[in-house]
Amino acid sequence: MSSITLTSSDGVDISVERTTAERSVLIKNMLEDLGDSGEAIPIPNVNEAVLKKVIECDDDDNRRKTTDIDEWDQKFMQVDQEMLFEIILAANYLDIKALLDVGCKTVANMIKGKSPEEIRKTFNIQNDFTPEEEDQIRRENEWAEDR
Amino acid sequence: MDDNDELESFRQQWREEVTRRSKPKATTPAPSAPTPTAPPPARLPPTRHEASHRKAIEEEGPPLASFDPDELAQQVGQLSVEPPEDDFSRREVAEPTSALEHFERAVEKEAEGNLGDSLSHYRKAYRLDSSVDKSYRNKHYAHVWKKPNQPAPATPAAVTQQTEDSPTLPTPELIASFAHVPISPVEPIVENTPPPPCPIATVPSEVLVEILRHVAMDDPSAFGRTALVCKRMAYHFAHEQHIWRRICQSREFGFQGMHYDFACDLHGEPIYTLAPRYTPFPKDGPVEIPPPLSSWSQVFQTLPRIRFTGIYISTVNYTRAGAASAYSNLSWNSPIHIVTYYRYLRFYPDGSVISLLTSTEPVDVVPHISKENVMAARTPAHRKHQRRTSDAGHTLSGATDSVPPLAMNTLKHGLRGRWRLASPVDTSEISETPAEIWKPGSASDQKSLLSDERDLLIETEGVDPKYVYTMHLSLRSPTVPKSAQFGPAPPNPSKNTKLAWKGFWSYNRLTDDWGEFGLRNDRAYVFRRVRGWGLD
Repeated sequence: MSSITLTSSDGVDISVERTTAERSVLIKNMLEDLGDSGEAIPIPNVNEAVLKKVIECDDDDNRRKTTDIDEWDQKFMQVDQEMLFEIILAANYLDIKALLDVGCKTVANMIKGKSPEEIRKTFNIQNDFTPEEEDQIRRENEWAEDR
Repeated sequence: MDDNDELESFRQQWREEVTRRSKPKATTPAPSAPTPTAPPPARLPPTRHEASHRKAIEEEGPPLASFDPDELAQQVGQLSVEPPEDDFSRREVAEPTSALEHFERAVEKEAEGNLGDSLSHYRKAYRLDSSVDKSYRNKHYAHVWKKPNQPAPATPAAVTQQTEDSPTLPTPELIASFAHVPISPVEPIVENTPPPPCPIATVPSEVLVEILRHVAMDDPSAFGRTALVCKRMAYHFAHEQHIWRRICQSREFGFQGMHYDFACDLHGEPIYTLAPRYTPFPKDGPVEIPPPLSSWSQVFQTLPRIRFTGIYISTVNYTRAGAASAYSNLSWNSPIHIVTYYRYLRFYPDGSVISLLTSTEPVDVVPHISKENVMAARTPAHRKHQRRTSDAGHTLSGATDSVPPLAMNTLKHGLRGRWRLASPVDTSEISETPAEIWKPGSASDQKSLLSDERDLLIETEGVDPKYVYTMHLSLRSPTVPKSAQFGPAPPNPSKNTKLAWKGFWSYNRLTDDWGEFGLRNDRAYVFRRVRGWGLD
């Protein structure tokens, strides 16, 4: 089992199993393009902490076949919101579908069952509607509430 | 609407009563014979549970004082879109004591459709204070007197006068203008400090859409709420058609869960068939938006669809004259009984349905209506068993854990059944036969009976095993009051949330005989969401 080296954005080299790394479509394509030169692959958009977390997930990935949020995922995703979104961004950048799915589901679960105001609070989003706009949108989308 | 007539006549009755009360000498003795058309049921008006689950009504309803039945009907119609997620959680409410409190309670009950209790509270209120309606108006509608030009605050969010002053974009254009608006983080709480982290603002659109897709597939109404969070999400809500297509194709909320042929027998056992079941938007294969519509959200909004996330309730009131009290010869004291009863329907995506006819109020029974509970309530053996295990703190089924005895007693009368919508495929053979002319004796006519694709056919068990009940309903949308239809942002309530009656028959398996139920008093079913139903 060969291993390869990834260089994070903050210049840290991380050694990782090739099969694990190839879960990322981006890295897989790069490896195919570069050939097996043994050089470190730069991942300029992902820092060390996030990259380690992503690899940790990938290592365990073969344990899970579904993309449902199971216990393992929940534990894995018990990170602060900034980390969560960084993982999502990294998964998106590295093109790791399973991880992206888990991340998005985690965020979706944070949205579910909340009022718009509560969602704003959860994610520190500013309400950028004027009261009139908000009212207009509310009426337009009234049907989706489905009661 | 006939509701209005009825409401109006009730109102007239108590007003007359009050007038007479103030000058009792002028009254004439009462004719007390019960009318032959109203066979006196042995039951008294419904239970006196004073639990009230709506507080917002008084603040938001149109001015009752005008006694305009149209407005009242509007108000009743709009109750179905009131904010609380569901109304079926019980709240303790104190017994009213003052005239005003009785009046308020009466208004609430009237809005709920429970006219019996409503009338009784109105009576008490007027006996305590003959001018109670004035004090009620002054308390709740003073703001209307002050601004007489303002339209009735008919919708939850009353438009302020400003809307009319400032130029308003049509909603689609308004939403389109949100296209490239980024999510803006909140301002720092303390000036000159770093703002709280808002990592969601950093994700690219495709990831945000992916998140919203997960939200939508879990519960489309949660997706709807995201549209009110910020401009960016409002844009995605309106424009991510692939999400709406997936919802349309989903089994939990979309049309994959709609049955155009019976999918199970009366007891809920699935019917297996080799023939492919019709579904308008199959998951495998190309799907198209049906012609008059232009987007998948419109498809989801407009096409006939049964909801699994709540209960359909039909509230029925009827009056019957009672005998005059032997202790009084005053006409205003001759009783008129108002009987309120409810029909409930809960649909399941597997094609089964629970039908329940009872006088138990929604708040007492709705949260417990389920196939499991109905079966548990009907099985005496299980009931004994349940009592035994309740000491241990759990039951076998788990579902009957916390069902109060009142609900359990009511659920005993629940009927299992199955449902299907009229197949849109058959619309070619449109028959003009109205449901009344159709005689269910020829069961093969059912196809042509369901000529309208909004039609819904339900078969349930009868009270006796030899009967099968056939209900013919049709999906309808709540009416938007005319006054509110114009303007830049007309209200846009959910469509197809009402089930109007088209016919109701019983079939006697023993004698191969059909009987028709009169439906003299019956009203349309109205959908109400129930927390947690239909969501995994």
